[in-house]
Amino acid sequence: MIELVRDAYQYRELVWALAMKELKIRYKRSALGFLWALLNPLLLMIVYTVVFSTIMTMKIPHYAIFLLSMLIPWTFFAQSMAYAAESIVGNSDLIKKVRVPRSVFPLAAVMANIINFLLSMIPLAAIVLILGHPLFATWLFLPVPLLALTIFTVGATFFFATANVFYRDVAHIVQVIVQVWFYITPILYSIDFFPVQFRWLFKLNPLIYVMNDFRMSIYYGQLPQAQSVIASFVCGFLALFLGLTLFRKYESQFVYYV
Amino acid sequence: MSAVVKVENVTQRFRLVQERPDTVRELFAKFFRNSTGYHDFEAVRNVSFEVHEGEMLGIVGSNGSGKSTLLKVIAGVYKPTSGTVAVRGSLAPLIELGAGFHGELTGRENILMNGLLMGFSKRQMMDREESIIEFADLGDFIDAPVKQYSSGMYMRLAFAVATEVNPDILVIDEILAVGDMAFQQKCFERLERFRNSGKTILFVTHTLEQIRRNCDRAIYLDKGVLVADSTPEQVIDMYTETTISEHPELKLSSLAGLSAPAR
Repeated sequence: MIELVRDAYQYRELVWALAMKELKIRYKRSALGFLWALLNPLLLMIVYTVVFSTIMTMKIPHYAIFLLSMLIPWTFFAQSMAYAAESIVGNSDLIKKVRVPRSVFPLAAVMANIINFLLSMIPLAAIVLILGHPLFATWLFLPVPLLALTIFTVGATFFFATANVFYRDVAHIVQVIVQVWFYITPILYSIDFFPVQFRWLFKLNPLIYVMNDFRMSIYYGQLPQAQSVIASFVCGFLALFLGLTLFRKYESQFVYYV
Repeated sequence: MSAVVKVENVTQRFRLVQERPDTVRELFAKFFRNSTGYHDFEAVRNVSFEVHEGEMLGIVGSNGSGKSTLLKVIAGVYKPTSGTVAVRGSLAPLIELGAGFHGELTGRENILMNGLLMGFSKRQMMDREESIIEFADLGDFIDAPVKQYSSGMYMRLAFAVATEVNPDILVIDEILAVGDMAFQQKCFERLERFRNSGKTILFVTHTLEQIRRNCDRAIYLDKGVLVADSTPEQVIDMYTETTISEHPELKLSSLAGLSAPAR
Protein backbone atom coordinates (compact mmCIF):
# COMPACT_ATOMS: atom_id res chain seq x y z
CA MET A 1 0.00 0.00 0.00
CA ILE A 2 2.91 2.30 0.78
CA GLU A 3 4.33 1.33 -2.58
CA LEU A 4 1.08 2.40 -4.24
CA VAL A 5 1.16 5.81 -2.61
CA ARG A 6 4.81 6.21 -3.59
CA ASP A 7 4.17 5.24 -7.22
CA ALA A 8 1.11 7.46 -7.35
CA TYR A 9 3.13 10.38 -6.02
CA GLN A 10 6.16 9.81 -8.21
CA TYR A 11 4.02 9.40 -11.31
CA ARG A 12 1.37 11.96 -10.36
CA GLU A 13 1.99 14.02 -13.49
CA LEU A 14 1.57 10.93 -15.65
CA VAL A 15 -1.63 9.88 -13.85
CA TRP A 16 -2.98 13.37 -14.35
CA ALA A 17 -1.97 13.44 -18.02
CA LEU A 18 -3.56 10.03 -18.63
CA ALA A 19 -6.75 11.13 -16.86
CA MET A 20 -6.92 14.29 -18.94
CA LYS A 21 -6.33 12.17 -22.04
CA GLU A 22 -9.32 9.99 -21.09
CA LEU A 23 -11.55 13.00 -20.65
CA LYS A 24 -10.28 14.67 -23.76
CA ILE A 25 -11.00 11.60 -25.83
CA ARG A 26 -14.40 11.19 -24.23
CA TYR A 27 -15.49 14.67 -25.25
CA LYS A 28 -13.50 14.89 -28.45
CA ARG A 29 -15.23 16.02 -31.61
CA SER A 30 -18.33 17.03 -29.73
CA ALA A 31 -19.42 20.58 -30.37
CA LEU A 32 -19.88 21.28 -26.67
CA GLY A 33 -16.71 19.54 -25.56
CA PHE A 34 -16.04 19.74 -21.85
CA LEU A 35 -19.44 21.29 -21.28
CA TRP A 36 -20.80 17.75 -21.56
CA ALA A 37 -19.17 16.99 -18.25
CA LEU A 38 -21.64 19.46 -16.76
CA LEU A 39 -24.57 18.83 -19.09
CA ASN A 40 -24.51 15.08 -18.85
CA PRO A 41 -25.27 14.85 -15.12
CA LEU A 42 -27.71 17.72 -15.41
CA LEU A 43 -29.75 16.00 -18.13
CA LEU A 44 -29.52 12.70 -16.31
CA MET A 45 -30.79 14.41 -13.18
CA ILE A 46 -33.76 15.84 -15.01
CA VAL A 47 -34.68 12.48 -16.52
CA TYR A 48 -34.37 10.57 -13.26
CA THR A 49 -36.21 13.23 -11.34
CA VAL A 50 -39.12 13.44 -13.76
CA VAL A 51 -39.39 9.67 -14.10
CA PHE A 52 -39.10 8.73 -10.48
CA SER A 53 -40.97 11.59 -8.89
CA THR A 54 -43.99 11.12 -11.15
CA ILE A 55 -44.11 7.35 -11.45
CA MET A 56 -43.06 6.31 -8.01
CA THR A 57 -45.01 9.04 -6.22
CA MET A 58 -42.85 8.86 -3.16
CA LYS A 59 -43.48 11.21 -0.33
CA ILE A 60 -40.00 12.63 -0.26
CA PRO A 61 -39.70 16.41 -0.38
CA HIS A 62 -37.26 17.70 -2.99
CA TYR A 63 -36.90 14.20 -4.35
CA ALA A 64 -34.47 15.44 -7.01
CA ILE A 65 -31.92 16.38 -4.40
CA PHE A 66 -32.61 13.29 -2.34
CA LEU A 67 -31.86 11.22 -5.43
CA LEU A 68 -28.91 13.20 -6.72
CA SER A 69 -27.14 13.25 -3.38
CA MET A 70 -26.46 9.55 -3.91
CA LEU A 71 -26.74 9.28 -7.67
CA ILE A 72 -23.75 11.53 -8.35
CA PRO A 73 -21.33 9.62 -6.10
CA TRP A 74 -22.80 6.41 -7.47
CA THR A 75 -22.12 7.56 -11.02
CA PHE A 76 -18.53 8.20 -10.01
CA PHE A 77 -18.25 4.63 -8.76
CA ALA A 78 -20.11 3.04 -11.68
CA GLN A 79 -18.19 4.96 -14.36
CA SER A 80 -14.89 4.16 -12.70
CA MET A 81 -15.84 0.49 -12.79
CA ALA A 82 -16.63 0.70 -16.48
CA TYR A 83 -13.25 2.31 -17.16
CA ALA A 84 -11.42 0.10 -14.71
CA ALA A 85 -12.11 -3.19 -16.40
CA GLU A 86 -10.56 -1.79 -19.56
CA SER A 87 -7.78 0.20 -17.94
CA ILE A 88 -5.09 -2.46 -18.34
CA VAL A 89 -6.36 -4.22 -21.45
CA GLY A 90 -7.12 -0.94 -23.21
CA ASN A 91 -3.60 0.34 -22.63
CA SER A 92 -1.94 -2.78 -23.99
CA ASP A 93 0.14 -0.71 -26.38
CA LEU A 94 1.81 1.09 -23.54
CA ILE A 95 2.10 -1.94 -21.32
CA LYS A 96 3.83 -3.95 -24.01
CA LYS A 97 6.24 -1.24 -25.00
CA VAL A 98 7.04 1.06 -22.12
CA ARG A 99 8.25 0.41 -18.63
CA VAL A 100 5.89 2.21 -16.32
CA PRO A 101 4.19 1.11 -13.09
CA ARG A 102 1.03 -0.70 -14.14
CA SER A 103 -0.89 0.94 -11.32
CA VAL A 104 -0.94 4.31 -13.11
CA PHE A 105 -3.62 3.09 -15.52
CA PRO A 106 -6.36 2.15 -13.04
CA LEU A 107 -5.44 5.22 -11.00
CA ALA A 108 -5.85 7.42 -14.06
CA ALA A 109 -9.27 5.87 -14.72
CA VAL A 110 -10.39 6.80 -11.21
CA MET A 111 -8.79 10.24 -11.46
CA ALA A 112 -10.69 11.03 -14.66
CA ASN A 113 -13.92 10.20 -12.87
CA ILE A 114 -13.02 12.24 -9.80
CA ILE A 115 -12.70 15.23 -12.10
CA ASN A 116 -16.09 14.41 -13.58
CA PHE A 117 -17.56 14.04 -10.11
CA LEU A 118 -16.25 17.43 -9.02
CA LEU A 119 -17.60 19.03 -12.17
CA SER A 120 -21.06 17.58 -11.57
CA MET A 121 -21.16 19.21 -8.15
CA ILE A 122 -21.66 22.48 -10.02
CA PRO A 123 -24.99 21.56 -11.64
CA LEU A 124 -26.04 19.91 -8.37
CA ALA A 125 -25.46 23.13 -6.47
CA ALA A 126 -27.41 24.95 -9.17
CA ILE A 127 -30.37 22.59 -8.81
CA VAL A 128 -30.29 22.87 -5.03
CA LEU A 129 -30.53 26.64 -5.32
CA ILE A 130 -33.19 26.55 -8.04
CA LEU A 131 -35.42 24.20 -6.06
CA GLY A 132 -34.99 26.32 -2.96
CA HIS A 133 -33.38 23.53 -0.94
CA PRO A 134 -30.88 24.83 1.60
CA LEU A 135 -27.24 24.69 0.58
CA PHE A 136 -26.08 23.22 3.87
CA ALA A 137 -22.77 23.97 5.52
CA THR A 138 -22.33 20.19 5.76
CA TRP A 139 -21.29 20.28 2.10
CA LEU A 140 -17.91 21.17 3.56
CA PHE A 141 -17.78 17.67 5.01
CA LEU A 142 -18.05 16.07 1.53
CA PRO A 143 -14.30 15.56 1.00
CA VAL A 144 -14.44 12.91 3.75
CA PRO A 145 -16.97 10.57 2.09
CA LEU A 146 -15.32 11.34 -1.25
CA LEU A 147 -12.03 10.08 0.14
CA ALA A 148 -13.66 6.92 1.51
CA LEU A 149 -15.45 6.28 -1.77
CA THR A 150 -12.25 6.89 -3.74
CA ILE A 151 -10.36 4.36 -1.63
CA PHE A 152 -13.11 1.80 -2.17
CA THR A 153 -13.28 2.55 -5.89
CA VAL A 154 -9.51 2.28 -6.34
CA GLY A 155 -9.59 -1.12 -4.65
CA ALA A 156 -12.46 -2.37 -6.80
CA THR A 157 -10.75 -0.93 -9.86
CA PHE A 158 -7.53 -2.83 -9.19
CA PHE A 159 -9.51 -6.00 -8.62
CA PHE A 160 -11.51 -5.90 -11.83
CA ALA A 161 -8.71 -4.50 -13.97
CA THR A 162 -6.59 -7.50 -12.99
CA ALA A 163 -9.37 -10.04 -13.45
CA ASN A 164 -10.21 -8.66 -16.88
CA VAL A 165 -6.66 -9.19 -18.12
CA PHE A 166 -7.06 -12.93 -17.72
CA TYR A 167 -10.74 -13.31 -18.53
CA ARG A 168 -12.32 -10.73 -20.77
CA ASP A 169 -15.76 -11.82 -19.58
CA VAL A 170 -15.12 -9.74 -16.49
CA ALA A 171 -15.82 -6.47 -18.31
CA HIS A 172 -19.33 -7.72 -19.06
CA ILE A 173 -19.88 -9.23 -15.66
CA VAL A 174 -18.88 -5.96 -13.99
CA GLN A 175 -21.64 -4.12 -15.84
CA VAL A 176 -24.23 -6.54 -14.50
CA ILE A 177 -22.83 -6.41 -10.98
CA VAL A 178 -22.89 -2.62 -10.97
CA GLN A 179 -26.45 -2.60 -12.31
CA VAL A 180 -27.73 -4.97 -9.62
CA TRP A 181 -25.73 -3.14 -6.98
CA PHE A 182 -27.42 0.09 -8.04
CA TYR A 183 -30.87 -1.30 -7.27
CA ILE A 184 -30.00 -2.91 -3.95
CA THR A 185 -28.47 0.34 -2.75
CA PRO A 186 -31.15 2.76 -1.54
CA ILE A 187 -30.41 5.42 -4.14
CA LEU A 188 -33.82 5.70 -5.79
CA TYR A 189 -35.70 4.92 -2.63
CA SER A 190 -35.30 5.28 1.07
CA ILE A 191 -34.45 2.50 3.46
CA ASP A 192 -37.39 3.76 5.57
CA PHE A 193 -39.81 2.17 3.11
CA PHE A 194 -38.85 -1.24 4.43
CA PRO A 195 -40.05 -2.87 7.60
CA VAL A 196 -37.61 -2.49 10.46
CA GLN A 197 -36.85 -6.21 10.69
CA PHE A 198 -35.41 -6.25 7.16
CA ARG A 199 -33.29 -3.11 7.34
CA TRP A 200 -30.21 -4.91 8.65
CA LEU A 201 -29.93 -6.55 5.23
CA PHE A 202 -28.95 -3.23 3.71
CA LYS A 203 -26.03 -2.98 6.10
CA LEU A 204 -24.34 -5.88 4.35
CA ASN A 205 -23.78 -3.60 1.37
CA PRO A 206 -20.27 -2.18 1.77
CA LEU A 207 -21.17 0.96 -0.16
CA ILE A 208 -24.18 1.92 1.92
CA TYR A 209 -22.21 3.72 4.61
CA VAL A 210 -20.37 6.04 2.30
CA MET A 211 -23.49 6.63 0.20
CA ASN A 212 -25.43 7.55 3.33
CA ASP A 213 -22.71 9.99 4.33
CA PHE A 214 -23.15 11.78 1.02
CA ARG A 215 -26.92 11.97 1.47
CA MET A 216 -26.66 13.16 5.06
CA SER A 217 -24.33 15.99 4.07
CA ILE A 218 -26.09 17.11 0.90
CA TYR A 219 -29.77 16.39 1.48
CA TYR A 220 -30.35 16.31 5.25
CA GLY A 221 -27.70 18.85 6.17
CA GLN A 222 -26.47 16.71 9.04
CA LEU A 223 -23.03 15.45 9.81
CA PRO A 224 -22.95 11.67 9.34
CA GLN A 225 -22.61 9.56 12.46
CA ALA A 226 -19.10 8.62 13.43
CA GLN A 227 -19.85 4.87 13.16
CA SER A 228 -21.01 5.36 9.59
CA VAL A 229 -17.87 7.27 8.64
CA ILE A 230 -15.66 4.67 10.29
CA ALA A 231 -17.55 1.85 8.57
CA SER A 232 -17.15 3.57 5.20
CA PHE A 233 -13.38 3.72 5.65
CA VAL A 234 -13.17 0.15 6.92
CA CYS A 235 -15.02 -1.05 3.80
CA GLY A 236 -12.84 1.17 1.63
CA PHE A 237 -9.57 -0.13 3.00
CA LEU A 238 -10.77 -3.74 2.85
CA ALA A 239 -11.57 -3.29 -0.83
CA LEU A 240 -8.24 -1.59 -1.41
CA PHE A 241 -6.37 -4.36 0.36
CA LEU A 242 -8.14 -7.05 -1.62
CA GLY A 243 -7.78 -5.33 -4.98
CA LEU A 244 -4.19 -4.33 -4.44
CA THR A 245 -3.16 -7.81 -3.29
CA LEU A 246 -4.57 -9.36 -6.43
CA PHE A 247 -3.05 -6.64 -8.61
CA ARG A 248 0.42 -6.94 -7.09
CA LYS A 249 0.36 -10.69 -7.43
CA TYR A 250 -0.32 -10.64 -11.17
CA GLU A 251 0.92 -7.30 -12.50
CA SER A 252 4.19 -8.72 -13.83
CA GLN A 253 2.15 -11.17 -15.92
CA PHE A 254 0.03 -8.48 -17.60
CA VAL A 255 2.50 -7.93 -20.40
CA TYR A 256 2.02 -11.50 -21.65
CA TYR A 257 -1.76 -11.40 -21.70
CA VAL A 258 -2.84 -7.97 -22.91
CA MET B 1 35.29 1.91 -18.46
CA SER B 2 32.47 0.71 -16.32
CA ALA B 3 29.47 -1.30 -17.38
CA VAL B 4 26.26 0.71 -17.59
CA VAL B 5 24.22 -2.23 -18.81
CA LYS B 6 24.96 -5.63 -17.41
CA VAL B 7 22.98 -8.58 -18.69
CA GLU B 8 23.62 -11.82 -16.84
CA ASN B 9 22.30 -15.24 -17.86
CA VAL B 10 19.04 -13.76 -19.04
CA THR B 11 16.40 -16.14 -20.30
CA GLN B 12 13.03 -14.89 -21.46
CA ARG B 13 10.38 -17.52 -21.87
CA PHE B 14 7.04 -16.98 -23.52
CA ARG B 15 4.05 -19.16 -23.36
CA LEU B 16 3.03 -19.64 -26.94
CA VAL B 17 -0.65 -20.20 -26.71
CA GLN B 18 -2.50 -22.08 -29.33
CA GLU B 19 -5.85 -21.88 -27.63
CA ARG B 20 -5.66 -19.84 -24.51
CA PRO B 21 -9.05 -19.66 -22.87
CA ASP B 22 -10.04 -16.03 -23.17
CA THR B 23 -13.50 -16.55 -21.84
CA VAL B 24 -15.02 -18.61 -19.07
CA ARG B 25 -16.78 -20.83 -21.60
CA GLU B 26 -13.49 -21.74 -23.21
CA LEU B 27 -11.98 -22.31 -19.80
CA PHE B 28 -14.62 -24.93 -19.05
CA ALA B 29 -14.26 -26.43 -22.48
CA LYS B 30 -10.54 -26.72 -21.99
CA PHE B 31 -10.92 -28.15 -18.53
CA PHE B 32 -13.04 -31.00 -19.78
CA ARG B 33 -10.85 -31.77 -22.73
CA ASN B 34 -7.93 -31.68 -20.34
CA SER B 35 -5.52 -30.23 -22.87
CA THR B 36 -2.78 -27.77 -22.14
CA GLY B 37 -3.01 -25.84 -25.37
CA TYR B 38 0.37 -24.14 -25.13
CA HIS B 39 4.05 -24.73 -25.31
CA ASP B 40 6.87 -22.70 -23.90
CA PHE B 41 9.22 -20.86 -26.14
CA GLU B 42 12.48 -19.27 -25.14
CA ALA B 43 12.96 -16.08 -27.12
CA VAL B 44 16.22 -15.32 -25.33
CA ARG B 45 18.34 -18.09 -23.86
CA ASN B 46 20.98 -17.60 -21.22
CA VAL B 47 22.41 -14.41 -22.67
CA SER B 48 25.15 -12.49 -20.89
CA PHE B 49 27.00 -9.38 -21.98
CA GLU B 50 27.97 -5.93 -20.81
CA VAL B 51 27.81 -2.53 -22.41
CA HIS B 52 30.25 0.08 -21.26
CA GLU B 53 29.87 3.78 -20.84
CA GLY B 54 30.24 5.67 -24.10
CA GLU B 55 29.93 2.55 -26.20
CA MET B 56 27.69 2.02 -29.19
CA LEU B 57 26.74 -1.61 -29.39
CA GLY B 58 25.21 -3.10 -32.53
CA ILE B 59 22.94 -6.11 -32.32
CA VAL B 60 22.42 -8.32 -35.36
CA GLY B 61 20.43 -11.47 -36.00
CA SER B 62 17.69 -12.72 -38.27
CA ASN B 63 13.98 -12.12 -37.61
CA GLY B 64 12.83 -13.90 -34.49
CA SER B 65 16.32 -14.26 -33.07
CA GLY B 66 15.38 -12.40 -29.89
CA LYS B 67 16.86 -8.96 -30.53
CA SER B 68 13.73 -6.99 -29.73
CA THR B 69 12.89 -9.19 -26.77
CA LEU B 70 16.36 -8.60 -25.39
CA LEU B 71 15.97 -4.85 -25.79
CA LYS B 72 12.61 -4.97 -24.06
CA VAL B 73 14.09 -6.89 -21.16
CA ILE B 74 16.83 -4.25 -20.88
CA ALA B 75 14.24 -1.46 -21.11
CA GLY B 76 12.31 -3.12 -18.28
CA VAL B 77 9.17 -3.94 -20.26
CA TYR B 78 9.62 -7.63 -19.53
CA LYS B 79 10.87 -9.05 -16.30
CA PRO B 80 13.28 -11.80 -17.35
CA THR B 81 12.18 -15.35 -16.61
CA SER B 82 15.61 -15.95 -15.13
CA GLY B 83 18.84 -14.02 -14.92
CA THR B 84 19.37 -10.36 -14.10
CA VAL B 85 19.64 -7.05 -15.88
CA ALA B 86 21.34 -4.11 -14.22
CA VAL B 87 21.02 -0.69 -15.81
CA ARG B 88 22.85 2.32 -14.43
CA GLY B 89 21.43 5.70 -15.35
CA SER B 90 18.34 6.86 -17.21
CA LEU B 91 17.25 4.96 -20.28
CA ALA B 92 15.18 6.08 -23.25
CA PRO B 93 13.77 3.31 -25.41
CA LEU B 94 13.01 3.73 -29.09
CA ILE B 95 11.73 0.23 -29.40
CA GLU B 96 8.69 0.25 -31.56
CA LEU B 97 7.23 2.88 -33.76
CA GLY B 98 4.56 4.75 -31.87
CA ALA B 99 5.28 3.17 -28.48
CA GLY B 100 4.20 5.60 -25.82
CA PHE B 101 2.24 7.71 -28.25
CA HIS B 102 -1.49 8.04 -28.23
CA GLY B 103 -3.14 8.32 -31.63
CA GLU B 104 -5.83 10.77 -30.58
CA LEU B 105 -3.43 13.25 -29.03
CA THR B 106 -1.50 15.75 -31.10
CA GLY B 107 2.24 15.55 -31.65
CA ARG B 108 2.77 18.35 -29.16
CA GLU B 109 0.63 16.63 -26.51
CA ASN B 110 2.42 13.37 -27.15
CA ILE B 111 5.77 14.96 -26.42
CA LEU B 112 4.63 15.47 -22.86
CA MET B 113 2.90 12.09 -22.64
CA ASN B 114 5.92 10.27 -24.04
CA GLY B 115 8.30 12.00 -21.67
CA LEU B 116 6.11 11.31 -18.64
CA LEU B 117 5.88 7.65 -19.65
CA MET B 118 9.66 7.47 -19.76
CA GLY B 119 9.73 8.86 -16.24
CA PHE B 120 10.72 12.44 -16.94
CA SER B 121 8.90 15.33 -15.32
CA LYS B 122 6.48 17.75 -16.90
CA ARG B 123 8.89 20.60 -16.32
CA GLN B 124 11.74 18.77 -18.05
CA MET B 125 9.50 18.11 -21.04
CA MET B 126 8.19 21.66 -21.22
CA ASP B 127 11.74 23.01 -21.22
CA ARG B 128 12.62 20.79 -24.17
CA GLU B 129 9.43 21.07 -26.15
CA GLU B 130 10.72 23.71 -28.53
CA SER B 131 13.96 21.94 -29.36
CA ILE B 132 12.12 18.65 -29.84
CA ILE B 133 9.72 20.26 -32.28
CA GLU B 134 12.58 21.93 -34.08
CA PHE B 135 14.52 18.69 -34.48
CA ALA B 136 11.49 16.63 -35.55
CA ASP B 137 10.75 19.33 -38.14
CA LEU B 138 7.15 18.28 -38.74
CA GLY B 139 5.77 21.67 -39.67
CA ASP B 140 2.06 22.08 -38.99
CA PHE B 141 1.70 18.38 -38.30
CA ILE B 142 2.98 18.92 -34.79
CA ASP B 143 -0.53 20.04 -33.82
CA ALA B 144 -2.31 17.23 -35.66
CA PRO B 145 -3.31 13.97 -33.95
CA VAL B 146 -0.49 11.49 -34.42
CA LYS B 147 -2.84 8.88 -35.86
CA GLN B 148 -2.60 10.95 -39.03
CA TYR B 149 1.19 10.68 -39.10
CA SER B 150 3.17 8.64 -41.59
CA SER B 151 5.64 6.16 -40.12
CA GLY B 152 8.46 8.53 -40.97
CA MET B 153 6.79 11.32 -39.03
CA TYR B 154 6.24 9.05 -36.05
CA MET B 155 9.89 8.16 -36.07
CA ARG B 156 11.00 11.77 -36.30
CA LEU B 157 9.00 12.71 -33.26
CA ALA B 158 9.98 9.62 -31.28
CA PHE B 159 13.66 10.08 -32.06
CA ALA B 160 13.53 13.77 -31.22
CA VAL B 161 11.90 13.10 -27.84
CA ALA B 162 14.17 10.19 -26.92
CA THR B 163 17.35 12.10 -27.69
CA GLU B 164 16.33 15.51 -26.38
CA VAL B 165 15.57 14.17 -22.91
CA ASN B 166 19.27 13.41 -22.78
CA PRO B 167 19.19 9.90 -21.33
CA ASP B 168 22.35 8.07 -20.26
CA ILE B 169 21.39 5.09 -22.39
CA LEU B 170 19.54 5.09 -25.67
CA VAL B 171 18.01 1.90 -27.03
CA ILE B 172 17.11 1.92 -30.71
CA ASP B 173 15.34 -0.94 -32.42
CA GLU B 174 15.35 -0.71 -36.20
CA ILE B 175 13.22 2.35 -36.47
CA LEU B 176 15.57 4.71 -38.23
CA ALA B 177 14.96 2.81 -41.46
CA VAL B 178 11.68 4.65 -42.05
CA GLY B 179 13.31 8.05 -42.02
CA ASP B 180 14.33 9.71 -45.27
CA MET B 181 17.96 10.13 -46.28
CA ALA B 182 18.40 13.58 -44.83
CA PHE B 183 16.75 12.75 -41.54
CA GLN B 184 18.72 9.54 -41.13
CA GLN B 185 21.88 11.54 -41.61
CA LYS B 186 20.65 14.02 -38.99
CA CYS B 187 19.97 11.12 -36.63
CA PHE B 188 23.42 9.62 -37.04
CA GLU B 189 25.07 12.97 -36.52
CA ARG B 190 23.13 13.33 -33.31
CA LEU B 191 24.01 9.79 -32.22
CA GLU B 192 27.65 10.55 -32.90
CA ARG B 193 27.52 13.61 -30.67
CA PHE B 194 25.62 11.62 -28.11
CA ARG B 195 28.30 9.00 -27.96
CA ASN B 196 31.07 11.58 -27.82
CA SER B 197 29.50 13.00 -24.69
CA GLY B 198 29.88 9.62 -22.99
CA LYS B 199 26.39 8.26 -23.56
CA THR B 200 25.70 4.65 -24.35
CA ILE B 201 23.72 3.39 -27.33
CA LEU B 202 22.25 -0.02 -28.06
CA PHE B 203 21.40 -0.31 -31.69
CA VAL B 204 19.50 -2.98 -33.61
CA THR B 205 19.37 -2.81 -37.39
CA HIS B 206 19.38 -4.98 -40.47
CA THR B 207 21.35 -2.37 -42.36
CA LEU B 208 24.72 -3.90 -41.56
CA GLU B 209 26.55 -0.98 -43.09
CA GLN B 210 25.22 1.27 -40.31
CA ILE B 211 26.63 -1.05 -37.69
CA ARG B 212 29.94 -1.29 -39.47
CA ARG B 213 30.21 2.46 -39.70
CA ASN B 214 28.87 3.53 -36.31
CA CYS B 215 29.29 0.82 -33.70
CA ASP B 216 32.27 0.06 -31.49
CA ARG B 217 31.23 -3.48 -30.86
CA ALA B 218 28.52 -5.87 -31.97
CA ILE B 219 26.76 -8.96 -30.74
CA TYR B 220 25.03 -11.60 -32.80
CA LEU B 221 21.94 -13.44 -31.63
CA ASP B 222 20.83 -16.65 -33.26
CA LYS B 223 17.60 -18.32 -32.09
CA GLY B 224 17.85 -16.55 -28.78
CA VAL B 225 21.45 -17.52 -28.10
CA LEU B 226 24.33 -15.10 -28.11
CA VAL B 227 26.76 -16.61 -30.60
CA ALA B 228 29.23 -13.77 -31.06
CA ASP B 229 30.40 -10.70 -29.15
CA SER B 230 33.21 -8.99 -30.99
CA THR B 231 34.16 -6.19 -33.38
CA PRO B 232 31.45 -5.14 -35.84
CA GLU B 233 33.56 -6.50 -38.73
CA GLN B 234 33.84 -9.98 -37.31
CA VAL B 235 30.26 -10.18 -36.14
CA ILE B 236 28.90 -8.99 -39.47
CA ASP B 237 31.07 -11.47 -41.36
CA MET B 238 29.91 -14.28 -39.17
CA TYR B 239 26.27 -13.27 -39.50
CA THR B 240 26.59 -12.94 -43.26
CA GLU B 241 28.28 -16.32 -43.60
CA THR B 242 25.70 -18.07 -41.47
CA THR B 243 22.87 -16.48 -43.42
CA ILE B 244 24.40 -17.45 -46.74
CA SER B 245 24.95 -21.04 -45.64
CA GLU B 246 21.39 -21.26 -44.34
CA HIS B 247 19.89 -19.89 -47.53
CA PRO B 248 22.07 -21.13 -50.38
CA GLU B 249 19.17 -20.72 -52.80
CA LEU B 250 19.00 -16.96 -52.31
CA LYS B 251 22.33 -16.04 -53.88
CA LEU B 252 23.03 -13.81 -50.91
CA SER B 253 26.74 -13.84 -51.58
CA SER B 254 26.31 -11.20 -54.24
CA LEU B 255 24.32 -9.07 -51.79
CA ALA B 256 26.95 -9.47 -49.13
CA GLY B 257 29.51 -8.32 -51.65
CA LEU B 258 27.50 -5.18 -52.20
CA SER B 259 27.28 -4.24 -48.53
CA ALA B 260 30.94 -4.91 -47.86
CA PRO B 261 33.00 -1.72 -47.69
CA ALA B 262 35.11 -0.94 -50.70
CA ARG B 263 38.47 -1.05 -49.08
